[in-house]
Amino acid sequence: MQNNDDIVWSIINKSFCSFKVNTKTQKFCRHEYNLTGLCGRYSCPLANSQYATIREEKGIIYLYMRTAERTAFPNKSWEKVKLSRNFEKALQQINENLLYWPNYLKQKCKQRMLKITQYLIRMRKLTLRRQKKLVPLQRKIERRENRREEKALIAARIDTAIEKQLVERLKKGVYGDIYNFPQVAFTKALASEEVQEESDDEREEEYNEGGREEEEEMEEETRAALEDATEYVEAESDDEDMESDEEHEFTDEGPEESEVEDIEDMARPSTSKGKKSKVSVEYELEEALPEKTKVKNRV
Amino acid sequence: MASALARPLITVYSEKNEKTGTSLHLPVVFKAPIRPDVVSFVHHQMSKNRRQPYAVNKDAGHQTSAESWGTGRAVARIPRVRGGGTHRSGQGAFGNMCRGGRMFAPTKTWRRWHRRINVNQRRFALVSSIAASGVPALVMSKGHMVHDIPELPLVVSDKVQSFNKTKQAVIFLRRIKAWTDVQKVYRSRRLRAGKGKMRNRRRVQRRGPLIIYGEDQGLKLAFRNIPGVDVCSVKKLSLLKLAPGGHVGRFIIWTESAFRALDAIYGTWSSPSSEKKDYNLPTPKMTNTDLSRLLKAEEIRKVLRTPHKRPVRAVRKQNPLRNVRAMLKLNPYAAVLKRKAILTIQKKHLDKQEFLAKKTGVPLQKTKQQVRYEQLIQKRKEAIQKSKAAKPKTAKKAKKAPAAK
Repeated sequence: MQNNDDIVWSIINKSFCSFKVNTKTQKFCRHEYNLTGLCGRYSCPLANSQYATIREEKGIIYLYMRTAERTAFPNKSWEKVKLSRNFEKALQQINENLLYWPNYLKQKCKQRMLKITQYLIRMRKLTLRRQKKLVPLQRKIERRENRREEKALIAARIDTAIEKQLVERLKKGVYGDIYNFPQVAFTKALASEEVQEESDDEREEEYNEGGREEEEEMEEETRAALEDATEYVEAESDDEDMESDEEHEFTDEGPEESEVEDIEDMARPSTSKGKKSKVSVEYELEEALPEKTKVKNRV
Repeated sequence: MASALARPLITVYSEKNEKTGTSLHLPVVFKAPIRPDVVSFVHHQMSKNRRQPYAVNKDAGHQTSAESWGTGRAVARIPRVRGGGTHRSGQGAFGNMCRGGRMFAPTKTWRRWHRRINVNQRRFALVSSIAASGVPALVMSKGHMVHDIPELPLVVSDKVQSFNKTKQAVIFLRRIKAWTDVQKVYRSRRLRAGKGKMRNRRRVQRRGPLIIYGEDQGLKLAFRNIPGVDVCSVKKLSLLKLAPGGHVGRFIIWTESAFRALDAIYGTWSSPSSEKKDYNLPTPKMTNTDLSRLLKAEEIRKVLRTPHKRPVRAVRKQNPLRNVRAMLKLNPYAAVLKRKAILTIQKKHLDKQEFLAKKTGVPLQKTKQQVRYEQLIQKRKEAIQKSKAAKPKTAKKAKKAPAAK
């Protein structure tokens, strides 16, 4: 039976072997029982009927042996010997099991066992440390999700929801007497608000504080009253301008508009606090067309 | 150690993978020489025999009455299409370089598509591939998953021949652990690379086990739908099935009757085949092919000469006419001659000096060597005379007393 070894090798080497992997400099053997991992005459498990390997399963190292007599029975050909966890003892076990075997196999078995024990040690050390799990990101999916986030944010219309919430709270009286509004204007605003809701107007402007909302609620009637007295507030006005406006305002005071003035005074400071935003103030026409300004989420 | 031609016993396995009592001798075919080169060649030739001819239309490119315009028209001399009124007129025709011309060397249907192979070669290849299928290493190297089967060559009881349901066939393959090979076929199913896809050769897959039966009692129907599995009768073995791709070592499952029939079909070396006329198995070039062992064997080593362990190095040639030792190596007598020459010179010199001394009356101062030389001569003379006197009168041919000069 051993006669076959040389024939087998000459066939495997020259023509085809399904385990052989060729690189530019080396020939590798993908056979699981190969001792060295390289394709060679004395390390090929197929071309040597008397062969031995060391393999590791779940942290336990075994010595596998095969003799020429058993090659004809593939499921029984490999004999498995469990090696001791003590390295020295394992070496001795190899020695006694592979007594009278060719030196090459003995040497390679011992070397392989050494390598395996070393990497097992390393593995055990690594598991004790912090395990970093590398998670690959998929670019396409990430991009898609980001875009959807943005869209969802826009669709949620958070600022309008906040507005409503705050107004409700104001109505309820949560804020108590913090804000001082003149009664007339207040009721008017409330009424107008109801009208607003019915008519389903959309006005989107940005205000940081509740005061600003009040101004919005003042709506047409009050605004019309204001128009005589109002100065045009430009969008990107500096602090200086604002101050000048204020002063200007002061001179134009009328008795009627004193209350309104208060509100405006109240309102102004907030704007004069140096916003450089793109706040465009709507100026009312008879039938106010909703001007939609570009809303930027400044949360 | 068993001799190369020993015939081991092969146990027959039941369809449930149990050992039945029967065991058969390995047919001698399995001991035939394995020649991958012969197999490859014969396979190559055989695979050409199933080809269908292809050719271009014989008129293609010639269905014009084109003629060359000749010289003098400032155009290339290629034949051009006659007439007018269409794009085609004046265009080049006929040549392989022309658009719409015929190709170079149009393919013909009477190309020699098929090859004949000598009967003996065919049989040699077949026998080789059967032998190779009995070597587990070769079957594994071909890629078959045979690590769990009970024995190789695998012989199964004849009950398998009467399977007629695929379900039975699958269960059988599972039981004898040949299913992993079939699974490998499943996993290897893929689309062909290249234009074959649109030429009715779309899908590709691996080859699985080959089942060789003695008598078909439904076996073909049972196994034909399992991908990768081929089925074959012993009497009609084909190299294309035994060595697919030209490589030896297919995984074969024999039925008992098929296995028994092998000896009769192919013969043993001692008895020719009974089924084939005048056929006997090819004799191997070497009965014992274990080269490494042969070279270490006593019987061979004894007959060889001892090895030259020390290397013979090239020596620089010394000129004997200039180098005394080189001369002495070649001609040891040269030492004698040289010495004689030196001594005669010395003697002559001495004589001359003595003569001069006599003439002038100046006493000669002799060197130590010269003195000793004289003494030596004296002694020799005396010794010679003594020995002459001592010796009885013998024949004249007797040597003179050895006067070593």
